[in-house]
Amino acid sequence: MPRPTPVRVVSELASRGYNAEREAVTLLARADDLDRAIERATESAPTDTLTLSAEDVETALPALESSNPPADTAEASDTSTDNPSVSGGTTSHGSNEATNSPVETKGSAIGAADGKLDEEGGASERSVNPELRSLDVQGDVTGRSTGTGEYADFVATFRDRYERLSGLLRSRVNHRPTEAVDAMAGGSDAAIVGMIADIRSTANGHWLVELEDTTGTFPCLVLKDREIAGVVDELLLDELVAVEGTLAGDGGILFVDELHFPDVPRTYRPSTADRHVRAALISDVHVGSQEFAADAWSAFADWLHTEDAAAVEYLLVAGDMVEGVGVYPDQDEELDIVDIYEQYEAFAERLKEVPGDMEILLIPGNHDAVRLAEPQPGFDEELRNIMSAHDARFSGNPSTVTIEGVTILMYHGVSLDEVIAELPEEKANYDEPHKAMYQLLKKRHIAPQYGGHTRLAPEERDYLVMEEIPDVFHTGHVHKLGYGKYHNVLAINSGCWQEQTSFQKSVNIDPDVGYAPILDLDTLDLTIQKF
Amino acid sequence: MRADDERYFERIESQLDEAFAVAETARGKGGDPTPEIEIPVAKDMADRVENILGIEGVADRVRELEGEMSREEAALELAADFAEGRVGDYETDAGKIEGAVRTAVALLTEGVVAAPIEGIDRVDLAENPDGTEFVRVFYAGPIRSAGGTAQALSVLVADYTRALLGLAEYEAREEEVERYAEEVDLYDAETGLQYSPKDAETKFIARNSPVMLDGEATGQEEVSGFRDLERVGTNNPRGGMCLVLAEGIAQKAPKIERYTTDLDEVDWPWLDDLIAGTIGKSAGNDDDADGSDADDAEDQADEADDGDETDDESESAADEDSEPDGPLRPEPSTKFLRDLIAGRPVFGHPSEAGGFRLRYGRARNHGFATAGVHPATMHLVDDFLATGTQLKTERPGKAAGVVPVDSIEGPTVRLANGDVRRIDDPEEALELRNGVEAILDLGEYLVNYGEFVENNHPLAPASYTHEWWIQEFDATDANVQALADSTRVDLEHPTPEEAIEWAIEYDAPLHPEYTYCWHDLSVESFKTLADAVAAGELVKGELALEPAPEVRDALEALLVPHNQAADALRITEFRALVRSLGFDENCDRTWERLSTEASAWPNAMKAAREVAPFALRERAPTRIGGRMGRPEKSEQRELSPAVHTLFPIGEAGGNQRDVSAAAEHVHDDVGERGVVPVQVGRRECVDCGERSYETRCPDCGGVTEPRYECRDCEIAVEPDESGRAECPRCGSEATPTEWRTVDIREEFHDALDAVGERESAFDMVKGVKGLTSKLKTPEPMEKGVLRAKHGVSSFKDGTVRYDMTDLPVTSVRPAELDVSVDQFRELGYHEDIDGDPLRHADQLVELRVQDIVLSNGAAEHLLRTADFVDDLLDRYYGLDSFYDFDDRDDLVGELVFGMAPHTSAAVVGRVVGFTSAAVGYAHPYFHASKRRNCDGDEDCVMLLMDGLLNFSKEYLPDKRGGRMDAPLVMSSRIDPAEIDDEAHNMDVVERYPREFYEATLEMAEPGSVDIEIAEESIGTDTEYTGFRHTHDTSNLALGPSLSAYKTLGAMTEKMDAQLELARKLRAVDETDVAERIIEYHFLPDLIGNLRAFSRQETRCLDCGTKYRRMPLTGECRECGGGVNLTVHEGSVKKYIDTATRVAEEYGTRDYTKQRLEVLDKTLESVFENDKNKQSGIADFM
Repeated sequence: MPRPTPVRVVSELASRGYNAEREAVTLLARADDLDRAIERATESAPTDTLTLSAEDVETALPALESSNPPADTAEASDTSTDNPSVSGGTTSHGSNEATNSPVETKGSAIGAADGKLDEEGGASERSVNPELRSLDVQGDVTGRSTGTGEYADFVATFRDRYERLSGLLRSRVNHRPTEAVDAMAGGSDAAIVGMIADIRSTANGHWLVELEDTTGTFPCLVLKDREIAGVVDELLLDELVAVEGTLAGDGGILFVDELHFPDVPRTYRPSTADRHVRAALISDVHVGSQEFAADAWSAFADWLHTEDAAAVEYLLVAGDMVEGVGVYPDQDEELDIVDIYEQYEAFAERLKEVPGDMEILLIPGNHDAVRLAEPQPGFDEELRNIMSAHDARFSGNPSTVTIEGVTILMYHGVSLDEVIAELPEEKANYDEPHKAMYQLLKKRHIAPQYGGHTRLAPEERDYLVMEEIPDVFHTGHVHKLGYGKYHNVLAINSGCWQEQTSFQKSVNIDPDVGYAPILDLDTLDLTIQKF
Repeated sequence: MRADDERYFERIESQLDEAFAVAETARGKGGDPTPEIEIPVAKDMADRVENILGIEGVADRVRELEGEMSREEAALELAADFAEGRVGDYETDAGKIEGAVRTAVALLTEGVVAAPIEGIDRVDLAENPDGTEFVRVFYAGPIRSAGGTAQALSVLVADYTRALLGLAEYEAREEEVERYAEEVDLYDAETGLQYSPKDAETKFIARNSPVMLDGEATGQEEVSGFRDLERVGTNNPRGGMCLVLAEGIAQKAPKIERYTTDLDEVDWPWLDDLIAGTIGKSAGNDDDADGSDADDAEDQADEADDGDETDDESESAADEDSEPDGPLRPEPSTKFLRDLIAGRPVFGHPSEAGGFRLRYGRARNHGFATAGVHPATMHLVDDFLATGTQLKTERPGKAAGVVPVDSIEGPTVRLANGDVRRIDDPEEALELRNGVEAILDLGEYLVNYGEFVENNHPLAPASYTHEWWIQEFDATDANVQALADSTRVDLEHPTPEEAIEWAIEYDAPLHPEYTYCWHDLSVESFKTLADAVAAGELVKGELALEPAPEVRDALEALLVPHNQAADALRITEFRALVRSLGFDENCDRTWERLSTEASAWPNAMKAAREVAPFALRERAPTRIGGRMGRPEKSEQRELSPAVHTLFPIGEAGGNQRDVSAAAEHVHDDVGERGVVPVQVGRRECVDCGERSYETRCPDCGGVTEPRYECRDCEIAVEPDESGRAECPRCGSEATPTEWRTVDIREEFHDALDAVGERESAFDMVKGVKGLTSKLKTPEPMEKGVLRAKHGVSSFKDGTVRYDMTDLPVTSVRPAELDVSVDQFRELGYHEDIDGDPLRHADQLVELRVQDIVLSNGAAEHLLRTADFVDDLLDRYYGLDSFYDFDDRDDLVGELVFGMAPHTSAAVVGRVVGFTSAAVGYAHPYFHASKRRNCDGDEDCVMLLMDGLLNFSKEYLPDKRGGRMDAPLVMSSRIDPAEIDDEAHNMDVVERYPREFYEATLEMAEPGSVDIEIAEESIGTDTEYTGFRHTHDTSNLALGPSLSAYKTLGAMTEKMDAQLELARKLRAVDETDVAERIIEYHFLPDLIGNLRAFSRQETRCLDCGTKYRRMPLTGECRECGGGVNLTVHEGSVKKYIDTATRVAEEYGTRDYTKQRLEVLDKTLESVFENDKNKQSGIADFM
């Protein structure tokens, strides 16, 4: 008789209305008579228990204690997917890491002399070596928010944006400050690197783009019959571009011949991990909403326990852990859990469903209980304590996380709404959210346009600038699944775990529910798992 | 019309003629934009319609049709005339439809409001896929002022004309249908709709509307779903369209249906479904989209919505069959509590015991969307209610203006010493106010029958009152006449013994004076009280009961006055109480137990009826919830900043627009003191050809006219009839304005010299920064100097205005108006309301329709205006003064204009007296002729001569809505048939019949009861008279003269007072109030300001230039000045502490507290430096 898998344990428990801690599942899975064991465990658990703890199981099944650990370990996996490389983690890669080993191979890592696994229940189809892992976060505003809402803070933010993005453009054109261009003779060639202050069409259908730098502004005219006129559609206010062209006869205006975005070079080569290890890139869990897709979530968590998911060692969540409170008027009527702290507690319970050995990183979104204005700092101490399950890590929105050499820019995605609203349908739309992400990559800024949808919290630097090119760009927010590569950068907008809300219905959004994009960090291949 | 009425109007008109003669002479002197008076007199509605539209021939046709059919039918008839070219001169079909629609709206709004000119942008034709043409009507925001019915009918008229012209119907595409739904929701969220249709309703209308409802973009927010549609020109909500669809078609479907059924050419069968209210309720509706899962989900969602809605909206009582186990009552409605704001208290939660008790009747200062409240109540609610304060009310309408009526019952209170008593005297209320511990009952709330007719609200069960009882008593064998004549008997306030005797002997219900609120008592408490009475004893003729809390509560619920001694609750008038509790005349209990039926009843009414030896009626079955709306108003109208003359001075006058400062200002580009470049009209003297910007030629004093000039060719162009001027040489547009330097210094000093004033005669003359009118004609500086001297300021059209809350009054006493009988007789009042000769100042006199009562403030302001006008005539026009007033008595008999916002027609009124209430009392017909009711609306008066001399269309802003609130035409006499027909629903009887009161108990439809309303006399000889009332009040201005809302200082002070009052009122749940203040006032403010902060504009502190985003240079690109934020930390954070405190103190829901917590963290995160957080003291130890 094959040993019952933890998955079966979980589903048996679920059918009886229980969640269980990972350790409890492990304990139960070892029982000889699973059905009886589960029955005893659930019967003897305190009546108000929703989640069986290891302690509960131990109390219920004292006899089982003595019978573990089982001795039927199989051969260690013979596959080691990647050769170690110098750029890898700090730990040795020598062991026979069983990243996609069959279920029966549990315990193979015991041989890697890592006693910690035992402590975690040891017996699992997942076998991991935390020593191999690396997860490093940069560009996080958490704890560094120095803005005090002064005018000067705003100016500092925009100046920083100008400084850093213009650095990317200066090499491409022979930039002159607008002040200097102003003084140049009519008819001469000129180039400007500037922040877009204004875009308007002239009476004759040409485009007047006003570019601004730290010395002033200068009007640039894009003639409607020129090829680059099509690019004007893609422009957002407050992004940086470089233009080249000829000054008008009176010198008062620049006729644009060329326009450059900071962009990602076509030749960009992303880095990869040195071993076969995978990361799940999800977002928008919305626990607490009446529409929270609990079944899909549990199926996802169960899957993570299976051999298929054995290499999935990282879980990245790009915001909206919970549905939140007061996000829109009369929201309480649509909440399953009205209390914000209870929402996070419920989320923590959901988080406990996933394997405890995973590395988890959480950033906030617009439904979370942090400031709405971007950059958003990570969760505060109180919320972190609630979400302490599995030692999850927290950082701000956006954050750049480097996982075993692969840099992933995580951003919740509020600016996507604006990009989709402002740009033509074929360049950005809700059905292909990754196209909107391409635009942000091209502009090398997460939320360029100021004064519209996106809210800005002024800081001493502009945390929304993409100074470094990420290997992967991960967003959520629009509840649509979309992915693709832009100049070799993988853009992923993960779907959500919330069924269509009445609001979404009213604005014609049909969400993609229960999809988990799984990224192979060694190849940057993407697999979409549907639950 | 009676001869007397004819004389009245002739007298007004002759006064008008007299003023016209003077004003014509003055204007003829050329000191104004035009040499004529610019407010034409309209004889009737037909004139007004034609005047406002400017389509010739309409007036004649309207007059032809008027006698024959209703106005709505006339609008349709005129539509046919337009279609067939009999009226109007239009070449295109679109033009014909446009003419028909505009005329219909003008007709339906009596040619008073600006909607027909400002609310309809244009009508276009567009092609269907099959090549046929359909109609698009473009609405604009000001269509709002037409009201729902006219809006809806405008669509019908467009469709009718379309059908007559043989054009096709509009077929909405599915994405357009969805767009309508999203757009209406967005508009509702952003601007707010009176009626918010459900999505299913909106889509249903969009699918079925035979003409395309379109419009100008309004608002900033864009739709997010259905964008960039081919046939929809904007991604912003189209406000006018949303109004027409929601407040017009959706809300007024029954009214349109009346006309569609009569017309063969139009067929709107779908209206039936809309009226039946089935849209979006059942899955089997006409929603013809394919039955996908998504649609099912939608239906379910809508159904869920419906559930919520019905709770709020269903006014009808529960069906008798389905709920036999309780009294018939109107369903409580919480709608009035929505959007509660800080500082405006709730007086009663919906239908809650202890709130206002509905009493039927019309006081003489009542009707037309007002609510009669006892002045003692006004004082006891800490003066929050004053005459004219708006009350948002549970029923029958949405809002009402408060009027003081002291012939109804006052409030019942518990004092700090435990005594419970009713207070019927405002003086007593003031004396006891500080000792009031709880307000157990707010007293009666007088609503007239017509209010239920107007709102088409089923009658709600009436309170048992003297006027009902006496009719029931009269129907028995009792000789009521004899009792009434007896000096020893007071039928209104009998002794308990008399009341009991009559009730038992004549089998009439017990007199209301001794009928207690048994329906507010539980059966359990009834038994408790009976037990307490059985155990009680008689001490010195008083009934003494054990002072147990439940006994006290029972007495308080019943509203039985009593005193509280240390050892007992003492009731003086206990006889009727104990009899009602089933004790005999010897105070012996007559019953053991109650019947099952009585015990099962939700309140003690059946119990009392069962055990009492006489019949009992429910004392106050209908309680009406309410909260404060707007405070009353009586203030001069001032632009912000105030303006004395519409003379442009650019930035030279600083923020105050000070002309003397501008006269000293040295402009950078000009360099000469007091010379400033401004944009003004280009004018030319008719006589000598001299060019200037002035209306009176500076050279020869002649009249000047605007000169259109081509900017490039510099040649003069004559504008065509539509006002467009195209240069004959180059084809570009010629303009009547130019930038030129104006010597303000010279202007100012010349003006001072001309009117013989020195700068010391006034504080400051304020001009304007620039002119917004088309011709940019500046007002003469002299007028500004004189206005400043007399302390009055100018509105955008050159007039001086005073705003007051509208209230109705149909009969007045000269004494309360502070005028003498002699003055009243001079005004043509010779008889009192009963036809007796007018001899005493306290006789009641029926008010004439155009006579108005000014607030003290208005009188004082009009006196100053009169002085200004006199000075103006004398020193500017060189004529004799006109008014020569010494004191306010001189104002009596003078003519004024009444003028409401959103309208374009003024109505002539005559001043007959003054009141200390901060409101404008006038005949309801006067208000209705301005298209106002009295539910808290306010509008203005202008002194006649000021309007005639100073108003000019040339001052009006050249933008959408610019012609609103401007007297483009005046009505010299009111025709009751041509006013807002809401006033016709006012009842005009002296008493309501017994059958009426009985019908209220059945919650009958108001139409099923026969009470005469004003409508019945229209078109007859008595149409101007015979406005009787059922209740008197001793003075129009009882109660506090100003609402506490206006006398209290800061917002938090008001809010604390509001919450304190909520604690005192039995009918109010203070936690709910706190919750709502936070939810509807503080949170939206915090959230809104936080959002505004993070996407704000910035502004140069020096030159005022605005930047969408902070300049990278940091400083102003225009002037190099310092730039700063427009939304600061302070304004974002201002309510967080208060809100948090209130949430704590009043124990609001955790959800609300947590929302505040999250916001508080957000504020900290945005406005505090993480690295510089305030440290604890431990850091320094």
